[in-house]
Amino acid sequence: MSTFIKDFIERETINRRNFLLASAAGLTSATMPGVFGGGMARAATEPALAWSYRDRASAYWNAIVSGGEAFTESIGKPKDAMTSLINEGSSEKSLADIKAFLAKNNGACAIACDPNDSPNARPVAEAVQAAGGYVSTIWNKTDDAHPWDFGDNWVSHMTWSDEKPAEETARILFEAMGGKGGVVHLGGIAANNPAIERLNGLKNALKDYPDITLLDAQPADWDTTKAAELMASFLTKYGDQITGVHCANDNIAYGVMEALKAEGIEGMPIVAYDGNPEAVQMVMDGKLLATVFTNPHWGGGITLSLAYHAAIGTFKPSEEPHEHREFYGPTILVTAKDAADFKAKYLDNVPTYDWTDFWGPSNGGIVYK
Amino acid sequence: MKRLMTRENAIRWAPLLVLIGLMILFTAINPAFLSQRNFARIAIAAAPALMVAIGVTFIIVMGSIDLSMEGTVGLTAVLFCFVFLATGGTLAAGAWVAVPVILLAGALIGLVNGLVHVKLRIPSFMASLAIGFVGTGAAVLITGGDIVKIDDDTFRALLTWRIAGFPLMVYVVIVMALIAWFIQSHTTLGRNFYAVGGGEELAHASGLNVRRVRILGFVLAGVFYAVAGILQVAKLGQAESVSGANFMFISITSVVVGGVALWGGIGGIWNTVVGVLIVNVINNGMVVIGLPDYLQDGMLGLLVIVAVVLSTDRRSISFVK
Repeated sequence: MSTFIKDFIERETINRRNFLLASAAGLTSATMPGVFGGGMARAATEPALAWSYRDRASAYWNAIVSGGEAFTESIGKPKDAMTSLINEGSSEKSLADIKAFLAKNNGACAIACDPNDSPNARPVAEAVQAAGGYVSTIWNKTDDAHPWDFGDNWVSHMTWSDEKPAEETARILFEAMGGKGGVVHLGGIAANNPAIERLNGLKNALKDYPDITLLDAQPADWDTTKAAELMASFLTKYGDQITGVHCANDNIAYGVMEALKAEGIEGMPIVAYDGNPEAVQMVMDGKLLATVFTNPHWGGGITLSLAYHAAIGTFKPSEEPHEHREFYGPTILVTAKDAADFKAKYLDNVPTYDWTDFWGPSNGGIVYK
Repeated sequence: MKRLMTRENAIRWAPLLVLIGLMILFTAINPAFLSQRNFARIAIAAAPALMVAIGVTFIIVMGSIDLSMEGTVGLTAVLFCFVFLATGGTLAAGAWVAVPVILLAGALIGLVNGLVHVKLRIPSFMASLAIGFVGTGAAVLITGGDIVKIDDDTFRALLTWRIAGFPLMVYVVIVMALIAWFIQSHTTLGRNFYAVGGGEELAHASGLNVRRVRILGFVLAGVFYAVAGILQVAKLGQAESVSGANFMFISITSVVVGGVALWGGIGGIWNTVVGVLIVNVINNGMVVIGLPDYLQDGMLGLLVIVAVVLSTDRRSISFVK
């Protein structure tokens, strides 16, 4: 569809609804003044925007927020029209903040949200549905909770399948190890879904490399300091047996590198995950073999965009197929040969995305095992 | 001749015996534990934590508590990187200026902490926790959540340059511990900490300016947190707003495990040194002996209780709250 026609339809849809709402508001206010507040009329036209996420202390969440802000600016609003609801890793706070935001805006809200842990997705969706708002979620939800069970109000859920990319980084690592030797895995917080998937990816790759042993796999809690100390302990336990390191994220890899630096060990093959700018630079410098980029900037923007466009009626979520309501986000493998291109394309200049291309860069519907 | 095995002596040496016992246990299971290289690894892990623990020891000896360490270490680490990079980015180019600047910044944070506690009459627990949050918030604000890296090889020599197998930072920590011991044992301020912790009313009635001693205690703690911040950067080559994460648990646990009483007046720097070593030996040893990761947290908790039971003189107090 040409953009002209798309724009035209969009404009007409909005105009028609404005007309209907205006007449409805006019009629009701003539008959029952005060029952329909201004808030209801705003509900459909100008939803208040919010992003609910863990913290500002990591490159990942900062990129999510920058995407949300880029989207907000793309609809002609200032950056600060998007409210940050920071849950500090507390599901209770996440839910309380969202309820407060809904109450403040009479339910006229478009909210993007990482519910912090899986069980929290349902109460969040229920709260939003009860208030008549719209929410799109990422990362955390239980397998039995589905957006389509919440009408139009739970617009979509996006997550990332980390098993396959983690398997690819493992294969790159094993090739660099010459197909033999010992590997250690430093994981994320043990109960976190991405941590489990990233370790599974490594185990999948191991099946094709019989001469490589997984010496140990322990959680480093996504933390640089803990990773450095764990790697040091691994060196005591396994010493020269370690010929490759598989890290669950970039922060862990930074700690591993410092532990090796302290010992004067150079050239150890290491792979990571997340595609943070520092890690991409390390891939370019040859200190890291590979990392995986999940494009949090796009994820942050598109999640808010989905909630917003559902709220203003650009599309009706309940009329979309299931794979448009639960889908995987994009993953891009960054290795030495494409790191420079990748950096130029995604990090040095943040690409301008079409925030109405909701599902283009996504990776297909979520598959449950 | 005095009896060697008096109760006092047993309690005084208990933490050290716990430490030796743990080392024997881990070595028996995996002899690789008992190697100079592994001790160097434990020392590197323990170095920043020891600075934090020594800082908070002064406060705990006074019978107060300081929970601002995570925010203070995070903020000083981040500020250190910024000042370091702004003044040339290498020690040779004059970035050494960052060291005194950051020690001063640590003292300043401690001063604010102490003033809030003493002047506004807020319990140290709450005042310091709040200041810690402010510190973390400020670090997030300054960095925007990003990582700041320092690549200067001269500065990183603290980690990479070894004397007798131990990195330079370990010797820095030893010197700082000696300074702390000197303050504790050979200055009026150090003795006043014990006076306040042993009985605040009595100290006050004897004409001691308790409020001044308290504020100075927090200033001193702030300086040691700043040293920890700098060492944390030396250890990891980077700083971020969460660089101070986990130090609260590690330092307070270490202090208590080492035999410093949380109610004040008992224990000191050497207890803390042994306590930090115990906690780090446990952390390292559990991995080295191959304890499954799901048992490690539970085992750490258990060993901490055992260590406290063995190393604290609980008979001298009537009740514990």
